[in-house]
Amino acid sequence: MKFWAIRVGSILLAVLVSYGIGMVAQGSSGTVSRLIALAGLYVTLAVSLNLINGITGQFSIGHAAFYQVGSYTAAFLASQLLARGTINNLGTPIPWVLAAVGIAIVTSGIAGFLIGLPSLRLRGDYLAIVTLGFGEILRIIIQNTPQLGGSYGINSPKAFVVPYVWMLAFLCIGACRNLLQTAHGLSFLSVREDEVASGAMGVNVTRVKVAAFVLGSAFAGAAGALLTFNEGFINVNSFTMDVSFIILTMVVLGGTGSITGSIIAALALFTLPEFLRDAPPMPLNAVLGTLAGVALLVGTIRLALDQKKLGRDFLTPKTYMGFGIAAVGGVIVSILANFLPALANRTIPSAELRMVIFSAVLVIMMLLRPQGIFGHREFGLGSIFKRAQA
Amino acid sequence: MLQVKDINVYYGAIQAINNVSLEVEKGEIVAIIGSNGAGKSTLMRTLSGLLRTRSGAIRFLDEDITDLEPDAIVRRGISQSPEGRKIFTNMSVHENLLIGATTRTDAQGIKEDMEHVLERFPRLRERLKQNAGTLSGGEQQMLAIGRALMSQPKLLLLDEPSMGLAPNLVAEIFDIITDVKAEGVTVLVVEQNAHKALGIADRAYVLETGSLVLQGTGQELLHSDKVREAYLGG
Repeated sequence: MKFWAIRVGSILLAVLVSYGIGMVAQGSSGTVSRLIALAGLYVTLAVSLNLINGITGQFSIGHAAFYQVGSYTAAFLASQLLARGTINNLGTPIPWVLAAVGIAIVTSGIAGFLIGLPSLRLRGDYLAIVTLGFGEILRIIIQNTPQLGGSYGINSPKAFVVPYVWMLAFLCIGACRNLLQTAHGLSFLSVREDEVASGAMGVNVTRVKVAAFVLGSAFAGAAGALLTFNEGFINVNSFTMDVSFIILTMVVLGGTGSITGSIIAALALFTLPEFLRDAPPMPLNAVLGTLAGVALLVGTIRLALDQKKLGRDFLTPKTYMGFGIAAVGGVIVSILANFLPALANRTIPSAELRMVIFSAVLVIMMLLRPQGIFGHREFGLGSIFKRAQA
Repeated sequence: MLQVKDINVYYGAIQAINNVSLEVEKGEIVAIIGSNGAGKSTLMRTLSGLLRTRSGAIRFLDEDITDLEPDAIVRRGISQSPEGRKIFTNMSVHENLLIGATTRTDAQGIKEDMEHVLERFPRLRERLKQNAGTLSGGEQQMLAIGRALMSQPKLLLLDEPSMGLAPNLVAEIFDIITDVKAEGVTVLVVEQNAHKALGIADRAYVLETGSLVLQGTGQELLHSDKVREAYLGG
């Protein structure tokens, strides 16, 4: 009884929150509304890649390919079958959108199945190369197929899909979370831990791997279909290797295997650069000085952490000295930079500044917390309640 | 119960198992002893379906299981505690045991067997929520055996259960094997520790460079000159 109450309650809550987000999006400007939709799509993409990469341990780095399959499926169907008149005025009937999403799930699931097959024989880096190659091949084939819009892309009818985007995200999160609660989910984790041992225990390793790929890519495909209706226009540039890497970064940064980590990293990595988009241009020497200072600071913290592991204090005179060197070093670098003609009096436009910060955050994370924000752990309402009771 | 007939197993061009035939009867403990590289683990992995034979046949309970997938073999009632234990170190003890029951669907039965395994290994109960990687070597071996028992096997394959354990723990593990047999589970154990293995075995085989060279009851082999010389230190 309690079980079903919780289950039905969370589904209702997810639907309500999705419509709430939808109303917020409707009330805000076109740009903000678009960002709210994209954020939800990235949550779905990160969580679904986490199922393949983090939970099942299959190092796939071509997730944008499945996103692309779903997106192009929806765009092709919509542009062929729907009246041209609905283009660009949010007029696509919702049942139509949902049908297209359904078909996109099937096509991207099939793509995931085909890519899942080599994963039965390949491991680690080799699988990564195959998935990466698949993404690139697919993108280039589409770019050279006039029926699919070639390098121009496809115009498709639009629809207001923000609530559905977030429902998909919640569905994806719920599916992964519930999977991990079952014996079936344990077998996914066991494949990540040790394939041979799981095989010996009776886990059907083949089925688990293929299932992870099919499920993960079907979710990515559904996200792709919603992207099509949200944007009203897609082309191959939305599915480059960069997109795959950003999704992968979200998973790694959040902690491979942690669903909560993927969600938070997806939201953080997606929204932070958007805020920085409007930042004023920064003087180059100040940026360089800050980077140098941060590098020295991170180095000091890393060394102090190693000291702490040996049982010594974190804050020793040496640590303070390191902080001092970091501050002074940063200032010196920024002053020196102005003396070099090539670097003097330049500014970095804000659009590029965010990429600098983005990469710096990654490097710092890898140095200070290589297991990701959450490691393998999860963070949920349940654990808060448990802690409060204890 | 288990009949292995003339199997040959290769790693590429290298033959690891050469015309091996053996038999295990219901309710026995059968030991296979041999030194490093004799092919003991290869044989175990072949029986579990993790390796394929090039020729020969394996029959279990009057059914040909030679070419079955590992999970199908577990479903038929053969489960393995692999060499080096191969427990899932980043998962909890409880989760490790549940994976052992992955081929089963009877929730009630799984619960009962979990209770049974935890009664047998009280130390696992104390560490139920701990990461399996934090267990000591002996506890890990107990977990590996407990995990294998969770599939309700008719035949339990143990690959080097004494490996890397202190002598008192080795004795404990062998006591457990005798207990398991007393509960009606047939055991096939592969060991380097010939003395201990022959001591509890009803029958035993000696494996040398991929071939079986001797067989007899545990006591016969324990007192055979050839075995004493080669494996028991004179």
